[in-house]
Amino acid sequence: MAKEYDTFVDDISTLKEGEEITIAVRETDIYKTRVVKAIVSSSKEKLPEGEVMWMRYNRGYLRPEPWFIKINQDVPGLLGKKAIGDN
Amino acid sequence: MAFKDLREFIEALEKEKQLVRVKREVDWNLEAGAIIRRAYELEERATLFEKVKDAPGVRMMGGPIGTYSRMALAMGMSADTSVKEIANEFDRRVSNPIKPMLVSKGPCKENILKGDDIDLFKFGAPMAHDGDGGRYISTWAFITTRDLEDTGWVNWGMYRQMIHTKNTLGGLILPGQDIGRMYQKYEKANKPMPFATVIGADPLATVGGSLSAGPGECEADLAGGLRKEPIEMVKCETVDLEVPAHAELIIEGHVLPKVRVEEGPFGEYTGFRTSPRAPRPVYEVTCITHRNNPILTVSNMGTPVDEADIVMTLCWRNEAMRAVKSLPVVEVAMPAYGSGHMVVVSVERAYSGVAIHVANAIWGSKLGYLVPFVVVVDKDVDVHNLGEVVHAISTKCHPVRGVHSRPNTPGHALMPFLDFEERLWGRAANLLLDCTWPVGWDPNIEIPPKASFGNIFPKEIQEKVVANWENYGF
Repeated sequence: MAKEYDTFVDDISTLKEGEEITIAVRETDIYKTRVVKAIVSSSKEKLPEGEVMWMRYNRGYLRPEPWFIKINQDVPGLLGKKAIGDN
Repeated sequence: MAFKDLREFIEALEKEKQLVRVKREVDWNLEAGAIIRRAYELEERATLFEKVKDAPGVRMMGGPIGTYSRMALAMGMSADTSVKEIANEFDRRVSNPIKPMLVSKGPCKENILKGDDIDLFKFGAPMAHDGDGGRYISTWAFITTRDLEDTGWVNWGMYRQMIHTKNTLGGLILPGQDIGRMYQKYEKANKPMPFATVIGADPLATVGGSLSAGPGECEADLAGGLRKEPIEMVKCETVDLEVPAHAELIIEGHVLPKVRVEEGPFGEYTGFRTSPRAPRPVYEVTCITHRNNPILTVSNMGTPVDEADIVMTLCWRNEAMRAVKSLPVVEVAMPAYGSGHMVVVSVERAYSGVAIHVANAIWGSKLGYLVPFVVVVDKDVDVHNLGEVVHAISTKCHPVRGVHSRPNTPGHALMPFLDFEERLWGRAANLLLDCTWPVGWDPNIEIPPKASFGNIFPKEIQEKVVANWENYGF
């Protein structure tokens, strides 16, 4: 079975389509976090070799339509982010 | 005698018909979580899943203390003990702490995994709710950490941990929590904070992890008091910490300073998945030790009543009792359906403003950032009876004079009623509902008589009715 991925984002306009980005995704078979350099697209036609990537809002709600991801390479470690607020 | 370990407790639950053994394979991906959640909502028994998908040799226990009956059994009391009796016995025991005892070996060392052998995914950690940020291995577990300064302070606390990779975890650490205060010191010194996660300790040791001893004091001593005997502890393999020798699974490592990776969201104890995915601290694992055929304990928190509601009823009530001990307080309760956000206090009508005094004492304690709602009632109201409390609120609380709201109080990211900005910075608000008759009201002229059987009939009529109850045909 083809691997599927998901990622969390509230504002999908922040995801740049068609150019290589670094993104943290989860492999949905065991929910392992993986940081990758990849091309993402909202359209299968624009990224025919892409694998399914489901999109979730940051509070967990699933968007009905998947995006697609073509992973170019893994990036070791986790994707560090700046702390927001006091947590 | 206290249960030595989780396995003895499971045997006792089975004898009391408080446990379902699930022999068919159960999927860690939502199925186990859904079963545990439904069991809470039906007030069902605890579950022991004997076969978990992708986790050979691992068992999972769901809802270990999901009812007051199981809490009573954990304390060696009868399953039908009332909440009030459980709470009062809990307070008595916690008031007599017993220090843990160091031993040289224990079953938690039956398997020791380091280096490439570490794989957090091997233990069947559940995807507890659809849409959670990951698989949470720590839902009914506690984390122990040591103060950076040489104070001897060791903290136990119950904090969630989500698996990122085979050897990293993420978690929410709030600055108001004891672990948050410790972590701030380590971060300031740019040092990793050693931790050990304890999963599947004996039931009262785990409940002890929910207590709040506060800075300088260790919950291990309170847990010993709860058990009425010391907890046997062993040294960790890779960090300078000690853990219960009979626990099922120990995860050791360090919380990295100044590193944040997106964690969450998670269906939390408030009954909502409130706090969104956000950058949070990272736990790097250096060693896992576990018993043969370990049992992963799982609390699938959500709408009441589950473990969180039950232990808050007891642990946070204990904190509230200590906060108001010098005031004219009769009884304190934290209703399970309040999800830890509400404390109800009955008082003597000793002086004007007593309700405000009580609320200030509670908000001035550590509960200040945890419990936004305080309800104060007269002593004739049974604070453990939610029906009586609702009746007092809706009949005795003046909608203007009885309501005291406070803006700009400390809160935390998991409070569902806060907006996004307020959650980020833990800015909340508090509310006192004063359901006491004003002290100045004349009892014979201004206070309405309570129209209950025990209050509005003469004693001789009450006795006559009770004596003839069956003769009336009841």
